[in-house]
Amino acid sequence: MPTPEQVYEALRGVLDPEYPVSVVDLGLVRGVHVEGPVVRVRLTLTSLGCPCVEILHEDIRRAILSLEGVEQVMVEQVFEPWSRADISPEGLRRLREVGVV
Amino acid sequence: MAGRGWGLAAVTEQELLQRIREGRLVEGPEHATERYLEGLKRTLVVSADTELVSAPAYLRAAQRAPTLNAYVSALGIIQDELGHAHIAYRLLEDLGVDTKALVYERDPGDFKYPYAFDVPLDTWTELVVANAFYDRAGFVLLGDVFRNTSYGPWKRALAKVDREENFHLRHGERWMEILASDPATKAELQEAVDWMFVMTLEWFGLPDRLKRHTEQIEYGLKGSTNDQLRQQWMSTAVPLCERLGLRVPAHFDPERGEYVIDCPFPADFDEENKRWRFEQGPVGWDQVLARWRRRGPANEEFVTQLQRGYRELVRAVA
Repeated sequence: MPTPEQVYEALRGVLDPEYPVSVVDLGLVRGVHVEGPVVRVRLTLTSLGCPCVEILHEDIRRAILSLEGVEQVMVEQVFEPWSRADISPEGLRRLREVGVV
Repeated sequence: MAGRGWGLAAVTEQELLQRIREGRLVEGPEHATERYLEGLKRTLVVSADTELVSAPAYLRAAQRAPTLNAYVSALGIIQDELGHAHIAYRLLEDLGVDTKALVYERDPGDFKYPYAFDVPLDTWTELVVANAFYDRAGFVLLGDVFRNTSYGPWKRALAKVDREENFHLRHGERWMEILASDPATKAELQEAVDWMFVMTLEWFGLPDRLKRHTEQIEYGLKGSTNDQLRQQWMSTAVPLCERLGLRVPAHFDPERGEYVIDCPFPADFDEENKRWRFEQGPVGWDQVLARWRRRGPANEEFVTQLQRGYRELVRAVA
């Protein structure tokens, strides 16, 4: 059974399908709960009509299922407000590199 | 026509080539010759037109999306393409081109995008194959420009374009996987691959033995030849299809160290039934060029759709 920190670490490997920034650095992960073999991730999106939602869910599920002791991953789609201010300094640096911010 | 002409260009041919050889980017007309600027503009128009016309072409088939999320993904891709078109037209505008006339007043037949987009995509299956094949061609071509172009403003703008095309490929591949996993949908997928694979091979244009790229390569407007780019496209498109159990008329030849096309190529295309007339054997590239010049079935519909709002506006204020 992983710790929430280990789950966050795995999520740092899940990149936005367009830009080389992880969902953690983008500020999209709004909570991680581990209950035995079940991991729940609360995820918000950068926009309501996010075109990448299915790909994101798949990647998150795959990344967390690769952790030892995890049997089920539930991605809970929340629509909490998101803004540029939620991007980490590292995320902003990488987005600048590809000409986005 | 080297030298300090009457136009925007400000350096001699020699000064320009020296600059490119030293790996210093051209930042504007003040670093270029007329001949360089004309070549650059021609290249940019093809890129801009291709991105622009993909929007109505994709939008038509997106109406067939199987779920709301799938539809939103398709719309996201179309929005990206319009953004990419805007970048290329804006670069043209900075070079003094009247882009309003270029986009909204040009005759549909004078647009410079690949013939492939003139063949309408009729189903969701064909749309996702277009994302996996056509967007991959765009990715290969623009990736080459990004790495090699001597024109600084384009190089910087493409950093973002390159990233976004990644998502389009991923979307196309993901949906091809889904459709390939069910025998009922796999047959339709194979049918789409049958005409669209060869259509994308054709996209890369004349083979090197018929076309010399001295100007484009000398000026650093592109880094690889048509045949090299076609190979690069096959090097990822063929393994994708093989992994999904789809037949394609090309395979890797380890002895030659390259991909070999296994069908008559180029071939005559039956626009109405969307199939290649392989039974007639290969045709000459002159015939292909003639078909491209005539443009295909959806050319007028798509360009008219793009220009409609502007025309109505012009009529309204007249």
